[in-house]
Amino acid sequence: MGEMAPEAANSHKSSWWLIFGAVCALTLTTRFYKIAEPDHVCWDETHFGKMGSWYINRTFFFDVHPPLGKMLIGLSGYLTGYDGTFAFDKPGDKYDNTSYLGMRVFCTALGATLIPMAFLIVEETTQSITAATFAALLILFDVGILTLTQYILLDPILLCFIMGSILGAVKVSSRRIQEFSVSWWLWLIFTGTMLACCVSVKFVGLFVVSLVGLMTTADLWKILGDMTRPVTATVKHLVARGICLIMWPVILYITFFYIHLAVLNRSGNGDGFYSSAFQSQLIGNSLHNASMPRQVAYGALITLKNHRTGGGYLHSHYHLYPENVGARQQQITTYTHKDDNNKWLIKKYNTEDTSGIVVVRSGDLVRLEHVPTKRNLHSHKEQAPITKKHFQVTGYGENGTGDANDVWRVSVVGARDGTEVTAVSSKLKFVHYLQSCVLTTSGKQLPKWAYEQQEVSCNPNLRDPNGVWNVEENVFEKLPNVSFEVYAPSFLERFLESHAVMFQGNAGLKPKEGEITSRPWQWPINYRGQFFSGSSYRVYLLGNPVIWWSNLGFLFVFVVIFACNAIRQQRGYIKSFSEANKDKLVACAWLFLGWLLHYVPFWAMGRVLYFHHYFPALLFNSMITGIIIDYLLEEIPKFFGEKFGNVVYHTLVALVLSTVVYSFYLFSPLTYGMSGPNANEPNSTMYGLKWLDTWEF
Amino acid sequence: MENINNRKHKQKTIDQCGDNENKNEKNTTENVIQESCKNLKGDVLNYSNDKKTNKITNHIPREEKTKFLRINFEIDLLSVGLFLCGLLTRMYKLEEPKNIVFDELHYGKYVSLYMKNTFFFDSHPPLGKQLIAAVAYLAGFDGKFKFDKIGSPYPETIPLLALRFVPAFFGSLIIPASYHLMLELGLTQWTSLLAAILLLLDNALLTQSRFILMESMLLFFALFGIFCILKFRHYYSRPYTPLWFFWLSLGSVSLTCALSVKYVGFYSICLGIAIIGRDFWKLLSSSTLSDSALFVRFVVQSVTAIFISTLIYLCIFYIHLNVLYKAGPHDSIMTSAFQASLEGGLASITKGQPLLVAHGSQITLRHTHGRTCWMHSHNQVYPIRYPDKRGSSHQQQVTCYSFKDVNNWWIVKRPNKHDLVVEQPIDVINHGDVIQLVHGITSRALNSHDVAAPVSPQCQEVSCYIDYNVSMPAQNLWRVEILNKDQNGESWHTIQSLIRLIHVDTNTALKFTGRQLPDWGFHQHEVAADRIINQDDTVWNVEEHRYTKSEDQKERERELVTAEMIPTAATSLTFWEKFFELHYKMMFSGTESVQNHMYSSEPFEWPLMSRGIAYWVSSTSNAQIHLIGNLLLWYSGTIGLLIYFVLLIFYLLRRRRLCYDLDENTWEQFQLIGELFLIGYLFHYIPYFFVERTLFLHHYLPAFTFKTLLLAALIEHIHYLNTHIFKVKFFNYIFILLISLWLLSIFYVFLKFTVLCYGATPLTTNDIINLRWKDTWDFIVHKN
Repeated sequence: MGEMAPEAANSHKSSWWLIFGAVCALTLTTRFYKIAEPDHVCWDETHFGKMGSWYINRTFFFDVHPPLGKMLIGLSGYLTGYDGTFAFDKPGDKYDNTSYLGMRVFCTALGATLIPMAFLIVEETTQSITAATFAALLILFDVGILTLTQYILLDPILLCFIMGSILGAVKVSSRRIQEFSVSWWLWLIFTGTMLACCVSVKFVGLFVVSLVGLMTTADLWKILGDMTRPVTATVKHLVARGICLIMWPVILYITFFYIHLAVLNRSGNGDGFYSSAFQSQLIGNSLHNASMPRQVAYGALITLKNHRTGGGYLHSHYHLYPENVGARQQQITTYTHKDDNNKWLIKKYNTEDTSGIVVVRSGDLVRLEHVPTKRNLHSHKEQAPITKKHFQVTGYGENGTGDANDVWRVSVVGARDGTEVTAVSSKLKFVHYLQSCVLTTSGKQLPKWAYEQQEVSCNPNLRDPNGVWNVEENVFEKLPNVSFEVYAPSFLERFLESHAVMFQGNAGLKPKEGEITSRPWQWPINYRGQFFSGSSYRVYLLGNPVIWWSNLGFLFVFVVIFACNAIRQQRGYIKSFSEANKDKLVACAWLFLGWLLHYVPFWAMGRVLYFHHYFPALLFNSMITGIIIDYLLEEIPKFFGEKFGNVVYHTLVALVLSTVVYSFYLFSPLTYGMSGPNANEPNSTMYGLKWLDTWEF
Repeated sequence: MENINNRKHKQKTIDQCGDNENKNEKNTTENVIQESCKNLKGDVLNYSNDKKTNKITNHIPREEKTKFLRINFEIDLLSVGLFLCGLLTRMYKLEEPKNIVFDELHYGKYVSLYMKNTFFFDSHPPLGKQLIAAVAYLAGFDGKFKFDKIGSPYPETIPLLALRFVPAFFGSLIIPASYHLMLELGLTQWTSLLAAILLLLDNALLTQSRFILMESMLLFFALFGIFCILKFRHYYSRPYTPLWFFWLSLGSVSLTCALSVKYVGFYSICLGIAIIGRDFWKLLSSSTLSDSALFVRFVVQSVTAIFISTLIYLCIFYIHLNVLYKAGPHDSIMTSAFQASLEGGLASITKGQPLLVAHGSQITLRHTHGRTCWMHSHNQVYPIRYPDKRGSSHQQQVTCYSFKDVNNWWIVKRPNKHDLVVEQPIDVINHGDVIQLVHGITSRALNSHDVAAPVSPQCQEVSCYIDYNVSMPAQNLWRVEILNKDQNGESWHTIQSLIRLIHVDTNTALKFTGRQLPDWGFHQHEVAADRIINQDDTVWNVEEHRYTKSEDQKERERELVTAEMIPTAATSLTFWEKFFELHYKMMFSGTESVQNHMYSSEPFEWPLMSRGIAYWVSSTSNAQIHLIGNLLLWYSGTIGLLIYFVLLIFYLLRRRRLCYDLDENTWEQFQLIGELFLIGYLFHYIPYFFVERTLFLHHYLPAFTFKTLLLAALIEHIHYLNTHIFKVKFFNYIFILLISLWLLSIFYVFLKFTVLCYGATPLTTNDIINLRWKDTWDFIVHKN
């Protein structure tokens, strides 16, 4: 481009602005058309809207995704006058007077940036405005992306940040931007910021991080191989990128969590997932500002909380295990609510005497007496009610006297014998002295006879990760009370705990037997969509089949072209590529890698998957299609000679454009709302468009 | 030899900056030279009954034609020695302990079922079990012993030695196989010996080879297959010669065998393909071969390999399905058609029943895929309100019941006909026909309506219709859709037709939801109607079937309760039908009970061996068998992996700046061991991170083997650096001394832990505590 005459450069520039402007204008019209419709809660808006409200109300909650996306939704709602009072109970609830529009506009606006960014990415990597325009239009006219980005969801936010990261990375390695210039630094920092944002919205952002990581490595490798430059040049680049693409995002990520934990300071429905110490930080929680003795001494009244996420309190009540479920002794369960039946008295193993102050130490033999029923925690060689490999745990004895099977050895995890047992902070294991098994809860629900509380059992495998407990309440008058503030976890501890809980939550999202979940193979072929809104105003998330299916075709075409070229090169038939074609193929190769990274990992995931997980991959695929169409448009007319070449070229362009636009026109009711009969009835307007039986509109 | 190499090297470095075009030519010549050098070296040690000169000329010039009908015979004493050592360690006290050890429970049971020709289902392919069964058969094993639980003693009559012989034999073969594999890579005999000895001295491999387990066979076939592929590479310059075909075929056979022992063998196949693919890619750049020659070669190569692999794999399953022709304990996993094709079991019930389902047919409807159960109804109704305050239709329950029961019978009826007796000509139901299904005992019709199902509210409730005279009309029409009508024709066949019942009014499909009903439904499984029609759980088939003979309701009931069948002809399935069904089930029934096994472990724990597996403990003493590797060796292997990786990165970076620290030969060699062993290691290790099943330490053994081979190769490389790059003799002596010491300590550790491999020595509590080197290891100690 440097060789171009000034006038040519000028006209080039003005046509660039013309096309770019047109694309932007089209984007705005399609995205913001009917944005307020439907005026009820659609699909997952019920979750994310609710979470936004919680940020505004500052109540603590638990979610498997990192906080940034929801914080932004909350913020946008807050700024546009939403007061956080709407319940977002279930899809289909009318908004009435709620000012939900601000949140929708915010999400839509972020979703709208996808198209200009796709344009810029492709234009930067291929230097071809045609390819860029096609790529942008393919994304613009996909009804699936349009539907997904018009509502209060995390996806528009995530998609926007993913494209931002790619755009930044592409700009950084661009030939047109002088390295270490101001704009280069700005783009580098922009990339880092976007990466941090991706990961802070959903953990799938890690895929784009790995893609940018690979792009950066390739960049550095290229610089290292340039023998005209000293090694220090590579080192300088390495340091710059280390700072902007690793350190800066990490700092940002932690900051987002800091804000998250600082904003949510009131007790809410997420408390139970977190440890006692964590809960003590939440206003309104019963542990907030509580005070109790620090050490646990013999004779203290305590409650024991299981350390598993969402674990309940060790509990018993005046009811026996039913016939045929082990011995007919008193039930022991865990119960997630606070209740007097959670109270236990801690006693020495050999005496009822509790006078004096003797602190319980790790390695001590103890008995636990259930205060309301005066029975001891007991275990014996009988099967547990559900987990048959474990032993049954019961309440046994009269007025605190039982037998040798009531004795448990208490130990503090990760501490030497003789360490004092402290309330809240000590992680305790109770090992049955005679049976050598550890007190644990499987988390499984018992049947009705135990009021559907959770099973407690004694596991002979002492490494049971669920066998850890902590003392939550500790009542003992002879020791001085200290404020709970001493247990206050630092930000770092809370940060780490949030992550442990999130990962556990994510791993727990397993499909149940008989449940149909979306499978990855269904996605690229647009096999089945997702209802956003039902009843009279129906919105159905489904890709534009023309675009999706041709995307797959062009993906295949790309692989063939790439393989052919690679083989020809290896055979020595191609000495050097024409610069433009090489650029296009390299760009495609990177995008293809991006597609793989955003698609293949889902095959290995056992958790519940949804159709909308494919959309990041789709963006990559559409950009590949754009470039390949351009590539073919350059190549095909060459076969027709100079005379017809031009005609063929323009016919093809017109054909592609009109197909895309027309298919968008056909399928746009999916996103702008349909009413009337279902498409499987002949009098419906969509009757002719139900191309696959699996589509449910 | 040194001279040749050096000269080559100089020439090479000069050429380096220039074109890459000729690179491959050099490679091939290099290969030949390398090979000849190795042979020269090797010959000093090898005893050969052929004349040396003859042998050398046989290898060096590639123009030399292979002579037919000529046998070159050589014995590598080292290899034989290693094999003997292997046999000695693996076979020593093979019949001890005379108890069921760990997974012998499963594999032993399968072998005994082979003896009895009884069908069983296992999610692993059958070759390993077949090999053991073959030897057991020769030794006269009758399969009568019941493998009931780990630790129970074997009776005197059982040929235990024969049962354990095959794994031990293959376990011993692993050692010479790895020796030859290393030689074939162009590593010195010392290194190859070292690698073999390291594998010999690993306790985990030893333990795993001594019992009726699959890993030793898997490992041998994998290593031998890779060895063949490496052999095959040497004939690259002479394609289509008999030896070229021989090694390619043998490699495919061996790798397919690995796959047929356990599906992890697939990763070994991938490794084999990767090696061949890489070579072929390099071959592409040769300017001497024409496009068509290359293409033909590609086709011949792949067709040979694929053809042989498929053939072997099919043969193994052919034998499997033909030997096991009797019904057995796992039948219910398979479809009715499959079960009926087995002798006894379902076949004895369904034999002789009418083939075509018609108006008036009495049938049982089985849920085809997944859990075995039959559509069922009984006199109880749905509760009016569920605990979550949703209402029900209060009509008769329809469930899916996992046991045979008289309430599983349904009568097929055309909506407009009322006489149920089947008369000639038979009114056969075809694809697309609309029918009603009447429950045999209660005479109520199968019905569905727009009421949420009890446990899966997103689906519609299915009931047997009771007319309460409220505004809820009967919607009891169902359309029969036969899925496999292309194979079996349009009419509805018993057993073989897979059908969907589509509710006509609401266009939903009858579905087994997989969830259990609460108390009021007797914990039977829920049946509902789902809008999503295309899924496995909506597929049903007729299992038992007969025609109604009497019109009287009482009479019909009596018939249902007392009916007996007169067998006349058996259902038979073709091999292909059975083969594909078995594979379908193997793919999708993989979700075994994911209960936390006490000795299960996670992939990230394996390289540092945080956990072993208790295989067996004597009931009288603390003598026990525990799968635990040679700790020193496992740690060294992991460190070796890291060192290799760091060196690789270092060399790559240096080469990028055009600093060539190694001569081209050594660099090639260094790359090659990485491509083979490092990639092999990753192939056999990384996939486990994505597996959802319960995993054990022994799943790491294939990866461990590659890691150990890499370690040995790395030691040679470091030795090379010492002698050629640093050139300080003193360092080299120190290095050799250190290696010897290290090897001695590995031997010491091996000896110390052999008690846990053989399980013959009673141990005191103190002994065991002394062996517990990591506090994550859980050995078993009897109290008192």
